Amino acid sequence: MWKPTLSLLALLCLLQTTFALHESDAGVVDWHKPLIGVPLTGSLATAPVFHRVGSHDPNGTTQSVILTATASNVLGALEPASGNLTWRHIYEPEDPVILFRAREDIVVSLSGPGGSTFRSFDALTGQLISEKRLHRPDTGRLFEPANLGSHVAFPALKDDTGRKSTDVFVLTNGCELRRIDAMTGEVKWTWSATEEQKSFIVFSRVVSTPSAVYAIGLTKTPKSYMPRIEAISPTTGEVLASADLPGNIQNGLAEFMVISDSTDDKISPLVIWLESGTMKTAALQPSLKGKVLSARGAVYKSIKDVGLSDRGLFVALQSDDSARIIKIDDNGPGVKSIHDFADSATSTGYTESMFAGGLDKSGYPYVGRFFWSHNVGQAAAHVYSPHLVEGRGMVTGYTFSFDTNLHGTIEHVALDTANPKQYTVLARLFLTTSTGAVQLWQHDRIQWTREESLSEIKAAEFVELPERKAVVGVHAEEHETFGARLIRQLADGKEFPTYAVNFAKRFATGSYASVTNSAVTSANSTDQLYRDTFGFRKIIVAATSRGKIYGINSSNGAIIWSRILGLGWANEVGGRHQPVKVYVTKTVSDGDTPQVVLLTQRLASNGLVDTVIFHINALTGDDIRKPSSSGPLEGFDFVESEIVDAFLLQSDNRTVVAIDTHLQVHLYPNTEHSRREFSKVARKIHFPLRANGRLLGHQVLPTPEVTDKFTAYATWASNFPPQEQIVAVIPNTLGPVASLGKVLGNRTTLYKYLNPHLIAVGTISPSTTPPVCGVYLLDGAKGTILYHANVPAAGGVCDVMATLTENWLVYVYYDDEIVGLHESKGQRAVSVELYEGYQVNDKTKSSDTSIYSNKTSEVSFYEQSYILPYAVTAMSTTSTKFGISVKDIILTNRRNQIHSIPRRVLDPRRPKRKPTAEEQEEWLFQYEPLLPDDPRRVVSHNYRVAKVEKIITSPAFLESTSLIFAYGLDLFSTRVAPSNTFDVLSENFNKAQLVLTVSALAIAIIITKPMVSRKRLRERWYAS
Amino acid sequence: MSTKLDYASIDNPKWRNLPPPPGFASSSSTTRTTSRPPASASASYAALKERRAWDQAIAPAKALPMQAFMLYMSGGGVQIFSMGIVFVLLLAPFRNTAGMNKAFAPFAPTKSDANALSTLPLQKLVYILCNILTLGLGLWKCRQMGLLPTGTGDWLAFETRGVAPEILLR
Repeated sequence: MWKPTLSLLALLCLLQTTFALHESDAGVVDWHKPLIGVPLTGSLATAPVFHRVGSHDPNGTTQSVILTATASNVLGALEPASGNLTWRHIYEPEDPVILFRAREDIVVSLSGPGGSTFRSFDALTGQLISEKRLHRPDTGRLFEPANLGSHVAFPALKDDTGRKSTDVFVLTNGCELRRIDAMTGEVKWTWSATEEQKSFIVFSRVVSTPSAVYAIGLTKTPKSYMPRIEAISPTTGEVLASADLPGNIQNGLAEFMVISDSTDDKISPLVIWLESGTMKTAALQPSLKGKVLSARGAVYKSIKDVGLSDRGLFVALQSDDSARIIKIDDNGPGVKSIHDFADSATSTGYTESMFAGGLDKSGYPYVGRFFWSHNVGQAAAHVYSPHLVEGRGMVTGYTFSFDTNLHGTIEHVALDTANPKQYTVLARLFLTTSTGAVQLWQHDRIQWTREESLSEIKAAEFVELPERKAVVGVHAEEHETFGARLIRQLADGKEFPTYAVNFAKRFATGSYASVTNSAVTSANSTDQLYRDTFGFRKIIVAATSRGKIYGINSSNGAIIWSRILGLGWANEVGGRHQPVKVYVTKTVSDGDTPQVVLLTQRLASNGLVDTVIFHINALTGDDIRKPSSSGPLEGFDFVESEIVDAFLLQSDNRTVVAIDTHLQVHLYPNTEHSRREFSKVARKIHFPLRANGRLLGHQVLPTPEVTDKFTAYATWASNFPPQEQIVAVIPNTLGPVASLGKVLGNRTTLYKYLNPHLIAVGTISPSTTPPVCGVYLLDGAKGTILYHANVPAAGGVCDVMATLTENWLVYVYYDDEIVGLHESKGQRAVSVELYEGYQVNDKTKSSDTSIYSNKTSEVSFYEQSYILPYAVTAMSTTSTKFGISVKDIILTNRRNQIHSIPRRVLDPRRPKRKPTAEEQEEWLFQYEPLLPDDPRRVVSHNYRVAKVEKIITSPAFLESTSLIFAYGLDLFSTRVAPSNTFDVLSENFNKAQLVLTVSALAIAIIITKPMVSRKRLRERWYAS
Repeated sequence: MSTKLDYASIDNPKWRNLPPPPGFASSSSTTRTTSRPPASASASYAALKERRAWDQAIAPAKALPMQAFMLYMSGGGVQIFSMGIVFVLLLAPFRNTAGMNKAFAPFAPTKSDANALSTLPLQKLVYILCNILTLGLGLWKCRQMGLLPTGTGDWLAFETRGVAPEILLR
């Protein structure tokens, strides 16, 4: 009895060792798109800049990177030539990056509240050089904007002794200035404002000169702000002098800036501000004895820092918005106007201008003005080069064809320039668009585009591709005559010779489709819109929070189509779309082009919220309702308010059902057919809704109200303890169930509890001490609690991850409670299985029992907890076409890996002793608390798949294989075969040998057959 | 060609009228040709036939211990060897029963129809019972090997479930 089982086990072990992803498969079966996120363009401290390393190098070899901080809390560097990610540093969510600055090969960043953490990186490799906590994050002052009280200034590159200096002056928290060595993180000295000053002065700028470091802040007075300056010794940190300037600034930082010229030591830094339109300047001397001067002659509306404040350049806008470049000057009031941008006043012909400063290889500054011209329908760039034409300056202007239909509007421009010839200025522009794309333009030609909004996917779904028909138009008409059919079939037969040739070729060369081959076809070929042999190629339809929807080829991550979501009437006032759900409403099996419905909440800037539906052809991105229209997709205002929840009615028509706040039911498509279909099942429909931390079960009234809409009413409320709040509702994953039960070793059966209404609910009870999290399994149609567990809430938060499929619940939590001596803190995974009845062979037919039957609560469960060696950020199960393959748990950990944990390991019925023969027959093996961190189980190879928020899975055409798509910051997709690819011939199957053996045998038979018959005949004659 | 003792024609063998081989005394043959066998001899033939019939009837039972030993030796796994033995065990009773009349025909009493079911009824009944024993052993082995669909698990694949009467939207 046990011998064969053992051999089976041995075989299984062999299979297990062959499971791991082979290195040769990496990049073939999977793809990974590292992203940095959408650049934070709101402030110069975080906006993208070109940074050139080596410009101070006499040899003249320089290398550029584009540095930016992003909305995904990443500091990243892109390669300007290719757009590839050079490096990135991902900050923790509680440590938002608020500022970065680069000089030469060092990038320094401040992150956390008030700039609590200082980091320095190598600008070209991204290696973290040093990290220093400057103040406790909880003592950080929260400013609006977050980087108000933080600034970084670099001293002269070489100090007096000619040694290269790596020090930086770091102003944090609006009151503390430090001199820090960026290579070591060592703090040379600290200056801090007095406690009294802290309450009304916020220091926001640092300027470094060889003789003094100036911390410049604004003092809050009852009516306005007043500049405050501290001159501090750069070597010791002692205060040399302090001064309040007699200023009267109304708008804070928008009318105030500090400029200096780091290339000329003789020019002292200037504090500049606007006082009722007049520009006031004050030169900074170590003694702070300078006078406040006025630059007369012009009235300015605002002044703009273009990133060249340390090169003495900025842009001032006059009252009609016409822009003027102003330069620091050591004569007169300290500033002089050097150029007025022509036609920059407000006009209907073009949009408001954006300004950016850039440097060329030799370090000369340039100022660019960028706008969208309505007249020519193109974006325009005017780049002013102050040093050219013997210092008289030169403007280079051109337009470039930015595609607004694809990328929205330009939000930010970073400028890099080259001056290859005397009167030629070449500009490289790094654009950030409103749809979250970043682009590099070299003069008027686009070099590359990165769709960084894919780091903010809110809803995604796999869509199956249609099969390429060998014969087109086979849809036979109902009343086809015999003759017509004969002719059609004969016509179809003309394909036969090619088919036969192909077959012979395939047979001879053995070039069949292989499961380990990539499902990628050449780009732009129409093949990518057709299914491959095994259905590994699908379209991932992903909607992002930046108002764009993408169709992504699941085999290589290429974007097949992308569309902007139009705002409808809110176009006038502005607004944005928040995608709620994507539903596949028509699949290939419906015999139509696959279609998806995207449900979004449109948050208009005037505060109105609408629910909008986009009905899209999943293959092309075209609008189904208005196929011909180009440009942004125009949605359909589905509900003129928020919706509470939306569902897909799994019927022939696949109707989208949305419930608004008045519990009215909205249907899409709202046709007579779908209404009739809905009213037919309305009586049977149940759904739970979350309300005030509770779960309320609802039903629909069988007949429409006066408003012609169906209305829902509450039927039950969750009876959790009163202090418990619901934090998550996890529905059971839909999918075919291949087996209704689990057969035990003695051939009795545990019938799976397959209640289709099962939902998992996560709760928190914050008021209890210590706070606990609850994990419940509910009958979602009537609210019965079937399973309940309390787990500790580490740090008062419930980030319990759970996934529920069939009768199997797996949840992961962090256990910080140590009760006994032998316990330890750590991640726990709990596996729970529910079975019908109370013992083996009990059968309640839970999958088709009415909710009004008492039998639905007859359930027994097995559970087992395991120790996970890593923290989990997202979790899902594999899904296959018929549900025959076992289901693996796919999870991502904090180390940016994606694991697949086999179901066998998580089986809650694993015995806690040596398994008996019967248990071995079930392939159960002894329980071990620790789930080993098996590198062979990492499906993400050695990619760092950062910040995965969600994993979706989808069946391939092969039963054994499941497709996985993980999104968050990065995108990653692969395919896994939890039960190995049992439905395809093994790769190393020797086809040649088989063919040779068969043909050798055939030849042998042909040769020996006459020999044998001759022998027989002879035997008859000469029989003894 | 196998040699078999022909009990059915023991009373009147077909070789009786052959001439004796050369060198054999013809004296005995003269007495034998005329005289009929004595009644006692005929009775002992009948008893012999009956005994042989009983032997045949319980032969399957006698083989049981040996078969059980072989089953034990063949192990519990589903392998070619054990499966072969089990197949023999399962098929033999049916084959035996089917060929029962033929098997008992040599032992049939002189006057009865040798191939009729009603001859030697007791022996045939016992023979059937013994074959059932063999079958039972075979089935027991099948069960031990888990080849009999006796558990609910064996019928799970044929179970079906309908559609749930209520719909939960999600």
